[in-house]
Amino acid sequence: MRDILIFCALTVTVVLIAIWSLSAGAVSIPWYVIGNTLFDIEGPKQEFIVFHSRLPRTLLALLTGGALALSGVTVQALLRNPLASPKIIGINSGAALAVCLLVLVLPSAGLKWLPVAALSGGLLAAALVTGSADFGRFSSGRLALIGIAVGFLCDAGVDFILATSADAQFSAPLIWLTGSLWARGWTHVQLVWPWLVILASFVLVLSFRVDLIQFGDSTATSLGVAVRPLRLILMGLAAALAAISVSVVGVLGFVGLMAPHMARSIIGGTHSRIMPCAVLIGMGLVTLADATGRAIAPPIEVSAGIVTALFGAPFFVFIMIQSGKRSQV
Amino acid sequence: MNARHRLPFQAGAISVLAFGVCILSVYGSLMTGGRSDIRLSDLFAASTNGAVILDIRLPRTLVAACLGVNLGLSGLILQALTRNPLSSPSILGINQGAALGLTIGVIFPSVGALVGLMPLAAIGALVAGFMTFSIAGVFTGRIVSLRLILGGVAVGAFASAMVRFSFTLEDDLARQVLRWTLGNISDVRWHHVQSLFVWSLGGTVATLAMAHRLNLMALGEAQASGLGADPRLTLMIGALMSACLTGTAVFVAGPIAFAGLVVPHMCRFCLGPDHRILVPATALGGACLLMAADAASKWLTSPVELPVGVVVAMIGAPYFLYQTLFSKGAI
Amino acid sequence: MLFRPKTFSSLAAGLMALLPFSVGAAEITHELGVTDVPDAPQRVIALEFSFVDALAALGVSPVGIADDKKRQRIVAEYTAVIGDDWQSVGTRKTPSLEVIASLQPDLIIADKTRHSGVYDTLSQIAPTIVLDSLGGTYPDAIEQTLVIGDALGLKDKAAERVAEHEAVMAELIAKIGNESHGVNAQFGVTNATGLWLHSPLSYNGSLLEKFGFSSSMTPQEGEVYETNYVPTTLEQLSVVDPDLLILGKYADPAFTDGWAGEALYDSLKAVEASNVYTVNAHKWSRMRGLLAAEMTANDVLEILTEFSGKQ
Repeated sequence: MRDILIFCALTVTVVLIAIWSLSAGAVSIPWYVIGNTLFDIEGPKQEFIVFHSRLPRTLLALLTGGALALSGVTVQALLRNPLASPKIIGINSGAALAVCLLVLVLPSAGLKWLPVAALSGGLLAAALVTGSADFGRFSSGRLALIGIAVGFLCDAGVDFILATSADAQFSAPLIWLTGSLWARGWTHVQLVWPWLVILASFVLVLSFRVDLIQFGDSTATSLGVAVRPLRLILMGLAAALAAISVSVVGVLGFVGLMAPHMARSIIGGTHSRIMPCAVLIGMGLVTLADATGRAIAPPIEVSAGIVTALFGAPFFVFIMIQSGKRSQV
Repeated sequence: MNARHRLPFQAGAISVLAFGVCILSVYGSLMTGGRSDIRLSDLFAASTNGAVILDIRLPRTLVAACLGVNLGLSGLILQALTRNPLSSPSILGINQGAALGLTIGVIFPSVGALVGLMPLAAIGALVAGFMTFSIAGVFTGRIVSLRLILGGVAVGAFASAMVRFSFTLEDDLARQVLRWTLGNISDVRWHHVQSLFVWSLGGTVATLAMAHRLNLMALGEAQASGLGADPRLTLMIGALMSACLTGTAVFVAGPIAFAGLVVPHMCRFCLGPDHRILVPATALGGACLLMAADAASKWLTSPVELPVGVVVAMIGAPYFLYQTLFSKGAI
Repeated sequence: MLFRPKTFSSLAAGLMALLPFSVGAAEITHELGVTDVPDAPQRVIALEFSFVDALAALGVSPVGIADDKKRQRIVAEYTAVIGDDWQSVGTRKTPSLEVIASLQPDLIIADKTRHSGVYDTLSQIAPTIVLDSLGGTYPDAIEQTLVIGDALGLKDKAAERVAEHEAVMAELIAKIGNESHGVNAQFGVTNATGLWLHSPLSYNGSLLEKFGFSSSMTPQEGEVYETNYVPTTLEQLSVVDPDLLILGKYADPAFTDGWAGEALYDSLKAVEASNVYTVNAHKWSRMRGLLAAEMTANDVLEILTEFSGKQ
């Protein structure tokens, strides 16, 4: 009963945030105009702003927020560590390096291929990390460390490129680096939604198996779970979810770190409960961050990534210190 | 420490090698730069060339050496205290915190003018370090290794996300932030040497005096208290020293990543775990690494210079990856 | 997808709405292709300062400018022509698409380096032309003024205005040329943390060349300056060693002020003969175009009068 109430409350909150997101922005538009535009009713409309800017941005925020949160829960479960996140397996930094290389090789003409570069860079880094951790004796600690090292290596490459190149040509990719939904539209939504929905449903179907893997390798094996293939599949799904999201909205890393914590502290229990809850929280967080970034200092756009970092950081540290007092992971 | 610990290399060979590397990096750092007409003999010439080498190149080389000493020792202390071979200012988010402090100063000039850019960097470093250690559970009494590293990475990521925000603002601001936060010593002068040298020298002496305590600490806290040295005192003095050494380095050059990680590692690999040997070795090794990186930063993309921090990161990051892939000791 | 069926109907509606523009339109070729621009667009949005310069030169007032939300960045020389009636659309890096759309423009002028990635979205709002302002030189800026004139349906006026500008410049250059011949001049921008020299590849570098100055920013053997803006240390500056050093300062005290009194700085030719001049960094470094070039020429003339007085 309590669970149902929590889920209802979360869903209502996400819907309310999404609706507010449609009205928030540099140009204030009365509600009836938004309604007219959305439902094609006769009367004054704001076709571009509501329909081609705010609506796709809101949808994209919901999609990527949910995907990043789900990816975060999965990675944390696989590494059995509440401080893990998609960033830990190198996705963000790999994507960032690929984008910088793209701009270096194909200045400005290559910007169209930015999502492709980001996707392949992120997946490549994740594959490299998971592959080398799987090769030899596996331990979640080793996987995390390799991921951090690959991340630092890619970051060093990004810094090198930024330091040696003319700064002006990097203004567009730099904005992507901060995690922004600026100028995202229907093309981006259409590009990612089928993939995100399919991958997310796979993960949700596998959620009960995630619980088993959390007991530890030996326990899981004795329960008849083929640990290694399951781990690789889940890792692949989590990496794909995060990399696809990052490819369109940029480095929005903290959602994958924070949403799982919030979910755990709100609902707790098995992953079949935590995962949907985290998805809803992730959706709400990114949508709220994007809408706030648009509305806070118009006409200047503040990146959603910054808003999440700014409000998320103190909250995250607080949760971590609290949980540190309770348990030692 | 085990007195019969077998060194992988002969002491004599190591000293010769170290001496050679040291001379080479000093020479490289002094002889590279914007002008190609500078000779070592100009050091004693009362000409423009003499001014170049005396006013610009010599202080720069010395600053690089001092930075190497500070960062290397700071990493060595942190690694002994946390008994974690990966502890270093960049992994624990301290560097990124310093960068965030600088960025705040650049974006809000009024704050920057009021507090000063460098104090802001020090505050940022302190806050970030404090957060990382809180996450790691330092207040509950014991530090969990992996939690320390992951907490540091998370804190670092938060800080660098906010640093990157400045990229969306003006070109001029973005340029300044990039220049400050990548570790830059291209415009240091003698007064920078003065403010650094005292700390490097004092730091080396003080760390050397602490070497025995560090040895006990690296063995394990429980044993340390059994052997008569209060681990909490060591922890406090060590943390303070490490913060001062990193802080003064950031103060002059901005954050330079990985020097604190690579140098103690290499020294431990060659010379074994005794801190009485490690402290001078790390100081020397750090100085050599930074001077060599300084030479490379002037030479690699000549005539345009690279920030020295970028060069160190290009050396340090692959080493870190190699270390995590092939190290025997699990975390 | 709840809204998917509507996407297409609405996209179609959007395309229909674009149709009237293509009636009696001019085809403008720009950096990213060809755009149909309506006859004599009235509501123009400029996303770089050099486009404002072009509009001011042609006497057209934009409805929106990406002025970084600092209205004073559009200097008096421009506002004298275009008035004070534009709306800010945010920063040049990330202009607010919502505000742009709400202004209902019929022409958007965007920069290649900054806005290539959002060309499709901007085109959805209004016909958009993309020009290389940030990476362009002085001749490029003249060329872009002609393209903008073409897009505004003021082709003849633009040609006339450019000819007029070239006459003004020729006159100024004739005066400058007497003194500038054989003089090595270098422009650089300095803020609180460093000095960036504008190489001959940059707008200001090409303009100084046009004035008849030579540049010693020719690299040493086997080395090239590939970029417009080169971060420079004192030692590198002593290699360039210009006769005339023109500095734009974004900060006070600027970074270069800290060099005063150093032996190497004092031995620079420009410093020895006290030929270091400070100019308005914003006007020199951020503004490009006809009016901006004339302002720069006047500044240079002023500098040269003082310079030759010392010879």
